[in-house]
Amino acid sequence: MATINESTQEGMKPKSNLDEFDKEKAQNFSTIFNVESNDQMKLLRYGIRKFAENILIPMAPTVDREAIFSWETAKELAKINAWGIEIPEKYGGAQLDSLSYAITIEEISRACASTGLNVSAHNSLGVYPLIKWGTVIQKEKYLPDLAIGKKIAGFAMTEPNAGSDVRRINCLAKQIDKGFLLNGSKIFVTNGGIASILIVISRYKTKNGKEGMAAFILDKNMEGYEIGKIEEKMGMRGSSTTSIYFKDVFIPEENILGPLSDGFKIAMQTLDVGRLGIAAQALGIAQAAYEHSVKYSKERIQFNKPISSFQGISFKLAEMATKLETARLLVYKVAAMRNISKNISKEVAMSKYYSSKIAREITQEAIQIHGGYGYMKDLPLERFYRDAKACEIYEGTTEIMKIIISQQILRGNM
Amino acid sequence: MVNIFVLIKQVPSTHNLEIDKKTGALIREGIETIINPDDLYALELGLGLKEKYGGNITAVTMGPPQAEISLRECLAMGIDDAIHVCDQIFAYSDTFQTTLVLKEVFDKIKDYDIIITGSQTSDSSTGQVPYQLSEALDIPLITDIFSIELKNGFVECQRNFGHESQNIQVELPILLRVRKHFNEPRHLSLLGIKKAFEKKIIKMDFNALNCPNFIDGCNKSPTKVVKTAKISLQRKNEVIEGTTSDKIQKILDIIQEHGIEKIWVGEK
Repeated sequence: MATINESTQEGMKPKSNLDEFDKEKAQNFSTIFNVESNDQMKLLRYGIRKFAENILIPMAPTVDREAIFSWETAKELAKINAWGIEIPEKYGGAQLDSLSYAITIEEISRACASTGLNVSAHNSLGVYPLIKWGTVIQKEKYLPDLAIGKKIAGFAMTEPNAGSDVRRINCLAKQIDKGFLLNGSKIFVTNGGIASILIVISRYKTKNGKEGMAAFILDKNMEGYEIGKIEEKMGMRGSSTTSIYFKDVFIPEENILGPLSDGFKIAMQTLDVGRLGIAAQALGIAQAAYEHSVKYSKERIQFNKPISSFQGISFKLAEMATKLETARLLVYKVAAMRNISKNISKEVAMSKYYSSKIAREITQEAIQIHGGYGYMKDLPLERFYRDAKACEIYEGTTEIMKIIISQQILRGNM
Repeated sequence: MVNIFVLIKQVPSTHNLEIDKKTGALIREGIETIINPDDLYALELGLGLKEKYGGNITAVTMGPPQAEISLRECLAMGIDDAIHVCDQIFAYSDTFQTTLVLKEVFDKIKDYDIIITGSQTSDSSTGQVPYQLSEALDIPLITDIFSIELKNGFVECQRNFGHESQNIQVELPILLRVRKHFNEPRHLSLLGIKKAFEKKIIKMDFNALNCPNFIDGCNKSPTKVVKTAKISLQRKNEVIEGTTSDKIQKILDIIQEHGIEKIWVGEK
């Protein structure tokens, strides 16, 4: 595997994250320890869960089986502001903080992980860079439609030869009059088939020979923008993953996102936010598998007793509950940190690594508890397992997370 | 501009309701609470009316301090204002005492056009408050409506009455008691939830309402719940032994014990 230097962003000198805390905002930090007794967070979870149970759970098996994205569901999601969780109110969003964002993604994923991914990728990978680096004109142009799910956003970075090794990307935007001409291709683009707005990370070459990495805002209606085939995936089947091809796509100057040479930095900071979404997703999937397991093990009678009365099963439940609690605290901590700290790379990598790991373990044990029934497609357990596995891979594999964590530690951010 | 009020109640979530074996009352501590499910239809009707005709919509509840979160939920649905009627004196009021307090509330509000209630609460199932309150305020009560239109100071509504449908024309103010599943209550939006916590809930207690002394919660409630018991329905299992004809005879005897006189037994 090639060497990776995701966290070696220019000008970023890691130090203890506590140094960067804004003291006033830090007061809210304690919220993470009592999310269950904070009325606003409680009502938020209750509201999203009710929505998810009414709208998403009934259609989740179909979404998985037929690998579909439903625009009808997208409209329902728009009614609860799920497409504009962090978008400022003036652009039609809910303008909420990271903790609310994490809980929303967690609850949607508990019902339908594919929908959780659609929403998470849209909000964190597509919309977030626009909020963070977009100009007022760009925001006014794109955010209102994105806030109501009229348009879906995505993020394109991975290429056939540039997965974990981001610096090897080949897409090239050559400067011409009034803009750039983009050529190349991207693979495994989340929301690729449904996104109208795509943040594309590409190499660039200016007229005077300067090179670097840039972030561009692409519209699927641009000439030369072509969507490839929809990938057949193991899990997260309701999320449309495609290749995208660019053949002489003209990108006007006004579609450069942030400073031209900041592409790599934008990509890395965007992925930090995306990874929080993935961690919350994994948490939601694990929660669903855990709840099914507790319920089933109390109802299933073997040897004249509910199987939960056997330690072989009850210890599994105890392990699941402990792992969930641990992962949840870390996810919420990172969410709260994001509101008050600039550098969350280490912690967000930890939470993505840990949540996706325990989600894989919990969904696997949940199948074991359900025995043969768990292996059948009539129950959602096997789906949970397939969906959970994706969380260990996309937006940076577990191995990449460990590299980021260890690099930060060794550079003094202990 | 119509001034709409919706009465709601916070109730224990219907999963795992437990009864205190000593006191025979519902255990309310530590139980997840929700807005009484029937009240959601009332809230949705009110919100629909406001969207169609403009005006202001207020949710009103009488309950302990923790009922505040149910009012927040109403606000998150899009309700404009919330009134929390709360005082230790009101604790354990029956429907009659509740009505007397609500009368004080609406006498203080004065400017009300439409008051909407659900059909009954899930924790006591009496359904009496709308009837009593319409008497107390001396305004018409219309139940079981399934369509409603406002026309210049009066209301036209259709209601089901047995097997017939009635068209009713009535002047404001009125009290409406809506039926279950009459509409589809909306979900909470993220923005709505955020805004709900930015609003101020109006508190009204015994003194603020200037309550007369015949208002005294459970002390002056004409009805008292003496005991609550959980009804559990269980199938009785009985294994019948013997030869086949013995078993058949035993089964026939059991059926006859239950009052079925004629039994036809098929023959080969």
